Amino acid sequence: MPLSRSVVLLILAGMAGSTACAQAIFAPRASALGAYAALVQDVRGFTANPAGLTGMKDWDLYTTTYTTTGPGGGGFVFSGFGIGKRFFDNHALALQYSPGTTLDVVQRASFRIAGLSLATNRQISYIEPLAAAYAVRVTDRLAFGVQGRMQTEKITDPQYAIQQVTDSLNAIVPLQQQYSRDTWFGDIAVSWKPAENVSLSALGRGLVRSTSRGIPSKFDTLALTYTRAFELAAGWSPAPPVLLSLQASTAKRGALGAEWNPVADLSVRCGFYADGGLPPFIDAVGFGLGYRYLFFEADASYVRFTNQSVRGGTVASASFDPSLIKDLGMNPFTGNRASVSLRAMLGNIREAPVRIEGVEMLGSVYPSAFQAMAYRPVGRVRVRNTSRRPVSARASIYVDRLMDRPSQSQPVSVQPGESVDIPLTAVFNDRVKDVPAVTIREATVTVSSASEDAYDEHAQARVLIHGRNDWDGTPEGLRYFVTPDDPDVIRSARAIMLAGKDSLARVPAELGQLRRAKLLCDAFTGGLVYVKDPRHLTEFVQYSPETLRSRTGDCTDLTVCFSSLLNSIGISTAFVDVVPPRMPEKAHMYLLFDTGVSPAYGDHVSSNPKRYIMRKSRSGRETIWIPLETTAITHGFDRAWTDGAQEYFDSVELGLGLASGWVRIVDVY
Amino acid sequence: MTKALVVAAFLVAARAWAGDIVVQAIQGDVSVRHGVTEVWTKVAVGDVLRPDDTMKTGRKGSAVIAVPASQAGSAAARRVVLPSEVIVDMSDVRDLSQEELMLKLTMEKVRSSSYQWKSDELQIPSADVVHGADRSSTQVLTMSDPSTGVLQINGARVLYNNGFFATCALKGMEVFRLYPPLAKEFRNRLLVAEALEKAHLRGEALNEYSAIARLDGITPDQQTLVHNRMETLRK
Repeated sequence: MPLSRSVVLLILAGMAGSTACAQAIFAPRASALGAYAALVQDVRGFTANPAGLTGMKDWDLYTTTYTTTGPGGGGFVFSGFGIGKRFFDNHALALQYSPGTTLDVVQRASFRIAGLSLATNRQISYIEPLAAAYAVRVTDRLAFGVQGRMQTEKITDPQYAIQQVTDSLNAIVPLQQQYSRDTWFGDIAVSWKPAENVSLSALGRGLVRSTSRGIPSKFDTLALTYTRAFELAAGWSPAPPVLLSLQASTAKRGALGAEWNPVADLSVRCGFYADGGLPPFIDAVGFGLGYRYLFFEADASYVRFTNQSVRGGTVASASFDPSLIKDLGMNPFTGNRASVSLRAMLGNIREAPVRIEGVEMLGSVYPSAFQAMAYRPVGRVRVRNTSRRPVSARASIYVDRLMDRPSQSQPVSVQPGESVDIPLTAVFNDRVKDVPAVTIREATVTVSSASEDAYDEHAQARVLIHGRNDWDGTPEGLRYFVTPDDPDVIRSARAIMLAGKDSLARVPAELGQLRRAKLLCDAFTGGLVYVKDPRHLTEFVQYSPETLRSRTGDCTDLTVCFSSLLNSIGISTAFVDVVPPRMPEKAHMYLLFDTGVSPAYGDHVSSNPKRYIMRKSRSGRETIWIPLETTAITHGFDRAWTDGAQEYFDSVELGLGLASGWVRIVDVY
Repeated sequence: MTKALVVAAFLVAARAWAGDIVVQAIQGDVSVRHGVTEVWTKVAVGDVLRPDDTMKTGRKGSAVIAVPASQAGSAAARRVVLPSEVIVDMSDVRDLSQEELMLKLTMEKVRSSSYQWKSDELQIPSADVVHGADRSSTQVLTMSDPSTGVLQINGARVLYNNGFFATCALKGMEVFRLYPPLAKEFRNRLLVAEALEKAHLRGEALNEYSAIARLDGITPDQQTLVHNRMETLRK
């Protein structure tokens, strides 16, 4: 078996000697950091923590080479390659072929016969050529992985036989005895992200082992010792450009690493290796650089050991103890090493810098106010920028059948590592007004960086859609039931005006609105029957045409309908919402309408100023508004006015409700 | 007779103590308007008034009312004399704290501007100009008779004289909106400004004095008085 040119370790023992070659730590990023297990996110060095493979995007290819520096060093040697694939979103497979992960030992020996010196160098090769892993992401923060690692031990034991060639001639014939056995190890790993900037991992190594036969027991002293080991690792990013990692193993090995991104796409790394078994405690230091360009990433590392005594390529035979080799990539015979690697991400590897951390629906959708949903958020999505550069993120929401297309939010700038809430506004189509009763629909929420058409991540959320007549109990919500431009409303109001045209002609123009309102009220309430909500739900509100057709309704229905009628003839209205302190069950609402009369002419409206309110209309002009208690509207205009005025005076003037906030006036139109 | 008066006085005092506004004495034309009604009715000694009632005295009328401590907002029951030609709302016969007065003044603004729609709520646009004003009617509307406003300003002065500065200021402002001609009279405006000053609302008082200084027809003496007051307030 040819020896690797890059590492030469001679093991001398008197007249005899041994040569050993320890192979590379496979991934330069891993070797530079030392503590890498908690940071595995792709196929690079996945044997440190196979659960981390779920961090891959799609296809991941990777190859590396190394050179050993110092005595016995040489040129670059192919170390191996890895390939990984993520599938079905939450699953990942990876395979690693690493012929360079070998440790070759040559025990030098010779004997002399008939004046000839014959070499009997025994060669032992320890190889870890294959590893395969599967990982599954259980939740966004938890993943499991299993892997199998294959180790091969080969012993070449040269022997000589004396063969009789002729009766007088014997020949010494070399016989190569080769022995080999394979061992498969099974490892289990788990990764957990308790927070966005913290990652933890645990790995059980060698939990399962299967060894073939093939090496005689006389070589047992050359066999590697196998012990189960458990490794714990943690990664923490105190700030987006900095990453710290820590790792410890029951095999008495540990490491500490740090990674820093001074600029986007460039990484500077260092790590310290500790060995609790053999001195010195800090037995190696790693340095490294990483650079990423689009979908390619190059890494370089250099690992230097603090104790060089047995790493020069030659050691005394007595110093070579296979039981000291716990890791083919990192053992007392490993030389200082420089590694270079290249990684390529293929397939569906578009950058997805924006991740959904959570979706929250802020309430339910009331079909009556569905237009308002285009402006008022129905929910919000918390997104996180997982990349290293600022991104402009946007979110969209889509409810099948009730929306024509997804409604997109305005782009929001998100700094690296930052989480922001993006409000979700929804433009529903007219079908939402046909929803007869409360229903739950599935909404698809997607987020993406603003420059991309494809989304980065999507999530499902449940949206409660109320029935078309349901009301959220707020005066703002009731406003949307007022439909002054409805043809039925306009027709009804104008019919009443036409019937009262003679009496209207006799009043001054300034008092026209007051007179028209009274006329409308008296005509509207004639023959009206007060009926409670048909479903005994307080939040059930009829649209004005429904009330006009049925001539029935409760106080809310009458308020809405009368407001629609007044608005349809150009009279502004407002709702007075009264929620007495500590008595929300006594909440009440009544109506104000604008007479259009200036306060200076107040005596023409009433001799008692307590019967009206002076307030500015939207035009900024102060006019007299009249309160109407809609529960009394069936008793006629005057009674409704008196009751409304009394209620307003008690709650607003005496109780200071408006100033204290428990009385609100909400303009309708 | 004397015995009957003593008993009546005792009953009146007892009611006042119990929390009702009670008419203790009247002379001449004195009437009351209950709540939001529009009708004035004669009042008699011993009548109990509610906070939403309004009292009016005629040209030769006067009255004395006993206001319970709970209504007046003071430590003890108050006795208020209403001279002739005043209109006083019973709800104004009370001491408002400075906080309550501020709330009331805020309320004027709240009531004027209504609910402010949030920027993320739907703004239903409406036309800025509406064509089609009704010009068919030939009847001309006259402004409200300021004599009623004068009675109310007189009532505000009664409030001031009895130490109810906050309600005096508020009433004065209301009267000015209902009867704009009264807002042009120096004496009326000074009453409101002084009431605001007494109610410890320096900023509002300064604004009012400043507005008075800009009134048409103000005499040099009045101008000097106003400026002196403003200087005092600014110190």
